[in-house]
Amino acid sequence: MRLRFKWGSQMQHNEIVTDKCSAAGPLQIDYAMLARLIVGLLAIAAIGYVWHDGVPVLLTASVVYAMPKSRPWCVRLGLALIAALVALFVLRMWPSVMAASNVSESASDSCLLSCLIAIPLIAAAVILVVPRSAEKAMRVVTMVTMLALFGLSARLLVPMGRGFHFNQDIVWLARFGIHYHVALDGISLWLVLLTTFTLPIAAYASFGSIHTRIKEWCFSLLLLEAALIGAFVAIDLFLFYVFWELMLIPMYIMIGVWGGSDRIRAAIKFFLYTMFGSVLMLAAILYLAYMYSKLNGTPSFDYFELQRVMLPRNVQIWLWGAFTLSFIIKVPMFPVHTWLPDAHTEAPTAGSVILAAVMLKLGTYGYLRFSMGLFPEASAEFAAVLAGMAVVGGILYGALCAWRQGDVKRLVAYSSVAHLGYVMLGLFAATPASLEGAVLQMVNHGISTGALFLLVGVIYDRRHTRQLSEFGGLAKVMPVYATLFIIATVASIGLPGTNGFIGEFMVITGTYVSHKLGYFNGIQAAGAAVGVILGALYMLTAVQKMFFGPITHAENKSLQDLNGRELLSLAPLVAMIFVMGVAPGIFIDQIRGATSRTLDVYQSRLAAHPGPRYFEGVPHLIARQADAPIAIGTPSGDGATAEKRD
Amino acid sequence: MLLMFALSPFLVLGGGALLLMLAEVFSRRPSGLAIGTTIVFITSGAFSVALWLYGIEFLPVGILSPWILVDKFTLFFNVLLCLGGALASLLAGGYLVEYKLNRGEFYSILLFATFGGMMLASAGDFLTLFLGLETMSLGAYALTAFRRASPRSAEGALKYFLLGSFAAAIMLYGIALVYGATGSTDLARVGAAFSHGVVTSHPMALIGLVLIVIGLLFKVSAVPFHMWTPDAYEGAPTPATAYMAVVVKSAAFAMMLRVLLTSFGDAESMSWSAGWPPALAAIAVLTMTVANLIAGRQDSVKRMLAYSSIAHAGYLLVGVVVALRSKEQAAAGVIFYLATYTVSTIGAFGALILLGSYGKEAVSYDDLAGVGKRHPAIAMAFSLFLFSLAGVPPTAGFFGKWFIFRAAMDSGFYWLTILAFINSVIGAYYYLRVLVFMYMREPQPGAAIAVPMQSRHVKAALLLSAVFVLALGLAPTCTLDAAIAAATTFRM
Repeated sequence: MRLRFKWGSQMQHNEIVTDKCSAAGPLQIDYAMLARLIVGLLAIAAIGYVWHDGVPVLLTASVVYAMPKSRPWCVRLGLALIAALVALFVLRMWPSVMAASNVSESASDSCLLSCLIAIPLIAAAVILVVPRSAEKAMRVVTMVTMLALFGLSARLLVPMGRGFHFNQDIVWLARFGIHYHVALDGISLWLVLLTTFTLPIAAYASFGSIHTRIKEWCFSLLLLEAALIGAFVAIDLFLFYVFWELMLIPMYIMIGVWGGSDRIRAAIKFFLYTMFGSVLMLAAILYLAYMYSKLNGTPSFDYFELQRVMLPRNVQIWLWGAFTLSFIIKVPMFPVHTWLPDAHTEAPTAGSVILAAVMLKLGTYGYLRFSMGLFPEASAEFAAVLAGMAVVGGILYGALCAWRQGDVKRLVAYSSVAHLGYVMLGLFAATPASLEGAVLQMVNHGISTGALFLLVGVIYDRRHTRQLSEFGGLAKVMPVYATLFIIATVASIGLPGTNGFIGEFMVITGTYVSHKLGYFNGIQAAGAAVGVILGALYMLTAVQKMFFGPITHAENKSLQDLNGRELLSLAPLVAMIFVMGVAPGIFIDQIRGATSRTLDVYQSRLAAHPGPRYFEGVPHLIARQADAPIAIGTPSGDGATAEKRD
Repeated sequence: MLLMFALSPFLVLGGGALLLMLAEVFSRRPSGLAIGTTIVFITSGAFSVALWLYGIEFLPVGILSPWILVDKFTLFFNVLLCLGGALASLLAGGYLVEYKLNRGEFYSILLFATFGGMMLASAGDFLTLFLGLETMSLGAYALTAFRRASPRSAEGALKYFLLGSFAAAIMLYGIALVYGATGSTDLARVGAAFSHGVVTSHPMALIGLVLIVIGLLFKVSAVPFHMWTPDAYEGAPTPATAYMAVVVKSAAFAMMLRVLLTSFGDAESMSWSAGWPPALAAIAVLTMTVANLIAGRQDSVKRMLAYSSIAHAGYLLVGVVVALRSKEQAAAGVIFYLATYTVSTIGAFGALILLGSYGKEAVSYDDLAGVGKRHPAIAMAFSLFLFSLAGVPPTAGFFGKWFIFRAAMDSGFYWLTILAFINSVIGAYYYLRVLVFMYMREPQPGAAIAVPMQSRHVKAALLLSAVFVLALGLAPTCTLDAAIAAATTFRM
């Protein structure tokens, strides 16, 4: 039985790939492989046409068959399994299939979200008691936990509709109305799945390059996963804040311990920026809960209860400002973005992947859920200004900064600033298309930027430099690497057929028809479109400098192409780039209900007070949102009926 | 007999101290004293808990009034002070042996000083209050000077002693003036006289009030009166530092709450525009800000922790100011904060003690370089306590800050709350610096490396503190209910 993966450091040394292409120098097309590939695909198409469920099995077999024999067989099998899983996912999630299937959540699933939070925490505690020398065991525990979580989180894929699912509410501190309340809607769904999808990849990739203090590393990864999932599903604002703070610590340690040369400054900068925003948010949460308890008599931190508080303008703008500042620091948006390039440059590869792919999304998610949900009037008032800031400071300035970077990782970091500018623009525009596009773009950015950071990490591991001027002509020596890099690049640029296109396109069209942005929506849409061109400019410049032209540095002539670990960790991301590019409907259908609910609430609050748009007078409570999930202490029924309506 | 029961925490502590003094004379192994002291502290605390559960209202405590008030506030502080004392004596059990300072006086002084602290928390009259204050302070001076061979210890103790004596004299003068204006030293009667408004406009009463407040602020080391703190804390043997940071400060805050809320807490006469609250609010902001800014620039971890304890006094002062408007909630916040602060601070000092040994003390940041790799368990415990001090959820310190800030927000002190929030971010910076050195730096080649001591006592203290930090962070309800019950003493 050799049916096992090789964990640990020895893998890198044992499995140095000797690819025929890279050995030969000039690129040669392997006709035999091409022929095998075409035959295999045709066979799958033909058989899949008559027998749906057989496709994953066939795909597995044919990928193993078509892969070059020079690859170790475990890599081939791994890639084949990934291909099969992707096929299974697409088949299972295809809209027509999903509508027909009678997937529904059972009663036992009500604690599924809590399991997703608790399992990594328990695993982290287990890691603490494992002896320090048992590095292999710790790696195995981490990977198995993360993969199991990914498998579990697949159970979240029920038709979402407008409502909340997997609702669980437990009283935590009764005196203060603090509950442990978690629930999931279409917006959180993909972000949770993005977390459970990205973290194992980051962890697996990191085991190839991180060999010191494995114990702390595994502990941080697991703690981070729990905190991230918790923050995406928390409905109680207090709980949200706890998770929001909790995730800072592992990331701080990741940057500070395993980072580059200037890591400590970057780590402290990261921590203080985020902490500054979040204490102001805590002050705002406290004030909001205080207003609620004054109006209602009983305290509560429940999101849907706090949403009922109607506040006049002079109060609302301060609370909105505190929440929003905290979120735009996290995103990050233009004036407060300076921590991001430093943090990314110094962080280890896996840290960058998690930071870019998941953690930044908390800023955009928080703005959508909390700033827009709790303070619609203030959000609408400042949307135009902030949208201008997102376009000029985020999309355009971020792109121009990225263009001038000599360090590839810094370039990708600035491209994050630009891409998240689109997400924020979509949120500010607040049209159905732009909101859906923004949520989709959050996931897109996670996939493509995650892949880019992994790829940058690959070249850094080989050359210990990331300067563009040090490379050139790499396509000749590392063809597979070059191919994957270019795929991730075009995804990041937003070429049709890849994931980036759909999100950016929806955001721009949504912005163009928006009424929320004053007289400038057309200009802003145009500015965002210019940003796409700039995106192509800086990414393609970088690709051109790295991969084409003559090989100018002697060290580059003997670089190894991707090894098995790197290929396996990149394959799922690349597969998702195409799945999301070709079949975005799978994702958008789940998002649509939740964004339309959010938008309805937003619009109805704004429509109730036309003109100055603010309610004026003494603060009071309005009715609880009809789609809100059941919470302890609220009259049951309204939440239940909402779920029946789906 | 019931009266004896009502006084049992005091009697146990006093009797235990005397017994231990005898035991020290006749025993050949003074190392057992630490355990004995701990047991005395725990017994006294247990008697306080028993009194709480038995019910104060069934006891003839009226006879003792106003000299000693046995109420829930007193009992809560008895438990808290005994907990601090017990943990400090465990720390001393490891530290004194390691540094060859093991003389039995330390433990007796510890017990007597705590006795003074308990008297301070229970005093309902300025006379007993002053007695308690002096008992506690004299003990603290002696503890500071305990490292006789060290000039720093002598310097710190002398500064502490001289300034402390002045402060005590100033406070006594204030008490005399207040007595002159109101004709009473009973806190409640002074309060009644102030409520009637007769004396409020009287300059003698106001000057007396100012002098008393200055005396109180000196004891909690608020900023214009904090000069002695860093030197005394740095010079003292580390268990004594932890003791002063925790027990002395808690007792001083108990006294402050009692005096300000009982005697000068009438919202009518002490309105926001005139009286101590605005001055105290300004001092609170000053204390937090100055202490946090200076703490960030320290090279010595011990000195940084000294400044951090000043900063925590600033947060607590915010709670005291707020307590004028919402007596119960904010006073409960202060009491709960003191509980969380006690366990986190003792833990932090304990970790610092455990990391060093004789001749290889861990004092500066550089000494801590690479500790995370060499001694991961201690480093992790240290990090936990620092996170708690910084107020990161889900540790005890977070809930301490949360309850005080929440009370401040509820009472409408928005600017004060926001300033406190911003200060807690500044505070996070220097706590994180310790983590940076422990986990992210390697020691300079050739530099002296701190070698951890082997001590079961200190390890036990750390473990206990860690359990309390996590328990108060995850399930604060029980303790908080007790704190709220204790704060109902100030309901009027």
